[in-house]
Amino acid sequence: MQSIINSIVKNRNLIIYIILSLITFNSLYTNSSVHYSGIEKTATYLSGKSSIFSSYIYSYFDLRNKNQILIEENLQLKKIEYKNNYSSQNLENNLLESKPLNTANIILNSINKSKNIIVIDKGILGGINEEMGVITSLGVVGIIKSVTDNYASIISLLNTDLKINAILKNSSTIGSITWDGLNSKYLKLNDIPLSSSLKIGDTIVTGGMSFYFPKGVPIGSITNYDNSSLEGYYDIDVEVFNDFSSLSNVYILERTDNDEIKTLLDD
Amino acid sequence: MTRDLIKNGFFYTSILVSQLLIFNHFNLFETITPSVYLIIFILYKTSYNKTTLIFLGFITGLIIDLSMQTYGCHTFATITICFLRERIEKNSFGVNANLPSAMTRGTKIINRLTFFILIILIHSSIYYSLVFFNTEVLGRIFYYTLINSIVTFIIIWVLSKLISNK
Repeated sequence: MQSIINSIVKNRNLIIYIILSLITFNSLYTNSSVHYSGIEKTATYLSGKSSIFSSYIYSYFDLRNKNQILIEENLQLKKIEYKNNYSSQNLENNLLESKPLNTANIILNSINKSKNIIVIDKGILGGINEEMGVITSLGVVGIIKSVTDNYASIISLLNTDLKINAILKNSSTIGSITWDGLNSKYLKLNDIPLSSSLKIGDTIVTGGMSFYFPKGVPIGSITNYDNSSLEGYYDIDVEVFNDFSSLSNVYILERTDNDEIKTLLDD
Repeated sequence: MTRDLIKNGFFYTSILVSQLLIFNHFNLFETITPSVYLIIFILYKTSYNKTTLIFLGFITGLIIDLSMQTYGCHTFATITICFLRERIEKNSFGVNANLPSAMTRGTKIINRLTFFILIILIHSSIYYSLVFFNTEVLGRIFYYTLINSIVTFIIIWVLSKLISNK
């Protein structure tokens, strides 16, 4: 307390000068219209600038909420998209019905192993079950492998154990997508017979003949193929649409009639 | 002490009255209005209290503002030079700044010139910046500051010589 008083006494001239200056400016502000408008203009300019600055800071710290809102909006749009597109195809082809159910954030991801696993922050309590398909807005990510109350693990497309039914979008030729464990950007499309016509740049989508994904979910595009195989099948390299090194949010698909189909198969 | 007080009081009053009655109505070429009252703050003895000087500057500026309807321009310019006076003194006179009559005698003329010019220029530039209060007329602010500073300096310099001789 003593040091504060000492400091005030020491700087009394500065304090008095500031107080008297404020009184003077107040007099200018209230009595002179020229100074009033000038000070108002300056105040407006400063408040505008400071508001912009504070809104930048606020919006930066609010990015997480904004991101969450965008994810929710995307989820709603995905539902509409799936309702309009896939439901009609499913009815025509008598395939399984599927729709986006949930969103989740990735909390663990790897791309440098041969059997890569992704972990998300939702589990049984969040409505996630085993063997659900996982996608992003760009395409397929993987399949739910196991779930706990609050977390779930996904077998990534970058897992040599995973094999997903896929087709050429243009010709509907059926094949299967696997990963050879080498490059995280490229997958292999197998079982496409040499009799099929294909070209570089053709899009590969899910075939719909599985418990996990409906028909037409994007996977990647053909970047290279070899037709010299003696086995009668192409050796096709597919560049995956998703960048697995920077995944952050995913959508989890629910297939409503998996159990019914499984019962049928068991019989 | 009492004699000094009466002497200074008389000096202060006479300068203030002459500013109010004569120099405020000078308006030469509709441009020049010398601020002769600055001599009070130039000749103010360094041995006196600095806080008193700031209050004296405030009251003087207020009286002139009220008479000229400048709403505080003189007051702010005056309290600013009162606040900065100690630094200006040190910059102008160096080690001789503590001499009781450094502003009129016993110091080099170049030091005194620097001191007078700095006080007058700072005061005029603040005053005319506040009067025009517009960045678009910087040229005019500079012109008014320069012309009025020159005239004010001449009058104050002559007056200080007269006072010093007496």
